[in-house]
Amino acid sequence: MADITPDRFSAAAPDANAEAVAAHKRRNRLGLGFWIPMTWLAVVVAAAVFADFLGLFPADEIDWMFINEGPNEAHLLGTDHLGRDMLSRIVYGARVSLTVGFAAPLIGVGLGLVLGILAGYYKGWVDEIVGIAIDTWLAIPGLVILLLFSVVFGGSLGMVCLSLGLLFIPTAARITRAATLNHSNREFVLAARAMGASDLRILAIEVFPNIIWPLIAFVLIDIPIAIVIEGALSFLGLSVKAPTPSWGGVIAEGREHLEGSPHISLIPTAVMFLTVLSFNLVGDAIRKRLADQRDGAI
Amino acid sequence: MSEPLLTVEDQRTAFAAARGLVRAVDGVSFALPRGRTLGVVGESGSGKSVLSRSIMRLLPPNARASGAVRLGGRDLTTMSEKALRALRGPEISIVFQDPMTSLNPVMTIGAQIGEVLTHHMGMSRKAAKARAVELLASVGLPQPDVRVDQHPHQLSGGMRQRVAIAIAIACEPALLIADEPTTALDVTVQAEILDLLARQQAERNMAMILITHDMGVVAGRCDEVAVMYAGRIVEQAATADLFRDTRMPYTAALLASIPRLDDPPHRKLEAIAGRPPDLIHPPAGCAFSPRCRFANDLCRTQPPALEETGRGHRFACWRPMAMEAAE
Repeated sequence: MADITPDRFSAAAPDANAEAVAAHKRRNRLGLGFWIPMTWLAVVVAAAVFADFLGLFPADEIDWMFINEGPNEAHLLGTDHLGRDMLSRIVYGARVSLTVGFAAPLIGVGLGLVLGILAGYYKGWVDEIVGIAIDTWLAIPGLVILLLFSVVFGGSLGMVCLSLGLLFIPTAARITRAATLNHSNREFVLAARAMGASDLRILAIEVFPNIIWPLIAFVLIDIPIAIVIEGALSFLGLSVKAPTPSWGGVIAEGREHLEGSPHISLIPTAVMFLTVLSFNLVGDAIRKRLADQRDGAI
Repeated sequence: MSEPLLTVEDQRTAFAAARGLVRAVDGVSFALPRGRTLGVVGESGSGKSVLSRSIMRLLPPNARASGAVRLGGRDLTTMSEKALRALRGPEISIVFQDPMTSLNPVMTIGAQIGEVLTHHMGMSRKAAKARAVELLASVGLPQPDVRVDQHPHQLSGGMRQRVAIAIAIACEPALLIADEPTTALDVTVQAEILDLLARQQAERNMAMILITHDMGVVAGRCDEVAVMYAGRIVEQAATADLFRDTRMPYTAALLASIPRLDDPPHRKLEAIAGRPPDLIHPPAGCAFSPRCRFANDLCRTQPPALEETGRGHRFACWRPMAMEAAE
């Protein structure tokens, strides 16, 4: 039969399959839209981590020869109004921005996860109490909370992370609660209970691995948001105290010299812009990837 | 015969709903010896699944249960949740209807079986995985050493149900409840899964409760069959007796509704007229009386008791069929 009617599907099957696999891989490959921002983030993160080994000027060293200078041989990105090296202030500022950018969403998601998973799993009065607590928390303006923390605890980096992290709790808790509600009614949870699993075991082994993906997506969205908010806080002087450099702080310091030396504000603004944009692009690509994988699983 | 493995005494389970109490299981009693299979048959809403969850004590918080469930001499109804957890798996376990949802989508097959083994049997991860492969082989999953590392979505429905069975039998339970284990599967796979359950049951000398809505499923595979209607057992007998000597008109109607191969073509399918009774306000007399051809005034006003005749045949009916014929 086969040699009488050449069947293009069966005859070409190996090639067709290989081609389909290759096409699928091509479609799913992460393009320049991922790798360029990823490279930028890698540079920023590496610079922040290894700042002490880059041979930079100390961030608060004052060079009286160069005040409000544009980029030159000694100072690649110029100097600010006190003659401090802009490059080193931006690199050390990245430490603050990135620490807050990663820590605040993680703190928020960590605490929100606990509240949301308990509310979604136990329902009833636990859910009620968590719901009321979240609604109450949301009713307090975020800026007031940040101000309060800044006044009471001073501008330490840890407190900035914590106060910003607290603002992420309500959304994280709600996302967790919804995902937990969705999954704790599934039969595999009942099946686990039928096999003698305790509540804690069910939460850790059955529910948690199923709800972690929306939370990872949430963290990816919140990193750039946290960086921007920290920038705004620094700008208002509510973040880490001077002379510790932070991006928002450096931008604020350049404000008064915008006419003569716009680079003092513009360079850190551009760095922050690129970093936030990169986090958004990378986050989108990763989230799309995760969604594709999960769709493929269904 | 020694003491039965499982005794259920006057189990009643109701749910608080907006309109009132839904009496899903309304006074069920039966006993099941070790190594025997009981088929529980009934249409949707007859209380079969709630009965299985009542036995396992896996009821939602809004359920109100009373009665006694004794497994190997211990009363599950008075047990602490902790003691129950230790029992679920090694003593009693369950296979659910839909293998698409009863497996965790993000865990490998091996991890899901291994989880039970490390938890209850104290096995190391490595030993548990090796045992998982053995279990998968014993439930007839092809390439168990490859499948063990796969996720549920990579398996067909029939394969997943085999995995669910492997999990359920992993700790060698004395009692296995199969709650409509083939309802969600293709007809061709159904027989394979039922044969697998029967084989495992025989090999491991488990007692089994096979819950189904399909008389054909219980026919060759159960020692005894209990027919449920509106939360009660309305007839129970050894399988052959039930089919040969049907007493309760509801059982007869269920049997008549199975299409037969030797029927003439285009024969009208025998259906049971009417709808299942309202479980909040059940009929005053026999719950089946509104749909029963033989019902009289007595049937409609007095609920019949479940009475035992010879050879363990029990039925609840004022006008049992064979007696009708004898009159």
